[in-house]
Amino acid sequence: MSYLFDPGNWEWLVTGNNARFIIEGFLVNLEIALIAIAFSLAFGLLLALARLSTFKPLSVLAGAWIDVFRNLPLIFLILYLFLGLPAPWRDAYEDAVPGFFPEALQSGRVLAALLGLVLYNSAVLAEIMRAGILSLDRGQAEAAAALGMTYRQSLRLVVLPQGLRRMVPATVSQLITLNKDTTLVSIIAIQEIVRHGRILTSFNFFGGVQAPVLQVFIFIGALFIVVNLLLSRLSRRLEIRERTRTAGAPKVRVAGVEDQVAA
Amino acid sequence: MWVTVRLVAIAFAIAIGAGTLVAALRVAPNPWLQRIGGLYVETFRNIPLLVLLFISFAGLRRAGVPVDAWVAGTASLGVYTSAYVAEVLRSGVFSVSRGQIEAALSLGFTYPEAMRRIVLPQAFRTVISPLGSLIIAMIKNSAIIGVSLLALPDLLKTARVIQSRTFATDEAFFWAAVGYLLLTGTVTLLIRALESKYAIKR
Repeated sequence: MSYLFDPGNWEWLVTGNNARFIIEGFLVNLEIALIAIAFSLAFGLLLALARLSTFKPLSVLAGAWIDVFRNLPLIFLILYLFLGLPAPWRDAYEDAVPGFFPEALQSGRVLAALLGLVLYNSAVLAEIMRAGILSLDRGQAEAAAALGMTYRQSLRLVVLPQGLRRMVPATVSQLITLNKDTTLVSIIAIQEIVRHGRILTSFNFFGGVQAPVLQVFIFIGALFIVVNLLLSRLSRRLEIRERTRTAGAPKVRVAGVEDQVAA
Repeated sequence: MWVTVRLVAIAFAIAIGAGTLVAALRVAPNPWLQRIGGLYVETFRNIPLLVLLFISFAGLRRAGVPVDAWVAGTASLGVYTSAYVAEVLRSGVFSVSRGQIEAALSLGFTYPEAMRRIVLPQAFRTVISPLGSLIIAMIKNSAIIGVSLLALPDLLKTARVIQSRTFATDEAFFWAAVGYLLLTGTVTLLIRALESKYAIKR
């Protein structure tokens, strides 16, 4: 305990640019997470719709795809794509990256990381979305069809708005997991927060102080806790707002109920 | 593959033990105990497993505590999962209606007795399926232990070593994938069997 709180062991945090260096790494994680979230949500929705399609072969194929990528470890996918992606792909990515992206995201290795994150998370999200859509009463889609809507119209106007609203809590907790999982790309040497932490602790960097491993990684963990707690607070806000909006009148907040929803 | 199985089995035992304790804290009548439980859950649920591994292995070693890679690996995975286990158990306990525990208390059961004999057996049924998903998540998360600095020779690490020796990337990773899908598939089937065994017959 005395080791943990010894001010001498926290001196690295205020020395030179150390704190800034860690936070710069954290920003890379958040950027990777944002890109992966955007693609995973879009691709996940497509997968979910394919899975629910009435055309049997498509639905079976999507189901197999989802089950395989959902049940493989994410780190396995990232490592395999890193080792197995053909070099021309990486070069194509390096050519295609917009110039305003930060330096850490310019490397072709990022393609393997992003592909792995999207393949895994889109499969998980597809399953969540499917459950959200299936939880709707069948009558909703039938009523839409009876009103003369086409399949697309009923999906866009009736089924998706209601189904997607129900899956907000599950989706947000998956996005929190995705945010944590961005640390895994450090395995393939992308310069993000864990790499930066290791650099600080491995040799004399800025100002010649070698930072203690325990404290550096506790600091990194604390950064993640703050951001992820903010995310889950946000989702609770959304839920409560939706509930009051859809119910018409403002409802009294029942203590404890939203905790159970988040669980 | 057996290293993976052993890692998951030990870590699951830790997760169930710690998770039950924390869940008990969170449903305890004392608000301070509830707060401690809540703090534990929010901390370990929001921290990346990889960071936890760094703290428990490299961090403690640098601090002068000689931890073994096995101890650090299973403890990290176990503690990480225990936060999720605690949440699952807590919602399981809440799924049993309050009337049940009030009835038990009025019949003269003490609080721990009522928990053990009335609430927990009923809660068990509702937590089978989420606990099963947690085991599957643990199998997947255990892959992080091998390729991190702990370097335990689990399924993924072995594939990586074979790949770096033979450069047969596709073959090595294909068989590792088969291994993981076999493990997660088996657990899925087992959970489904358990579920139907304990389902309320209607």
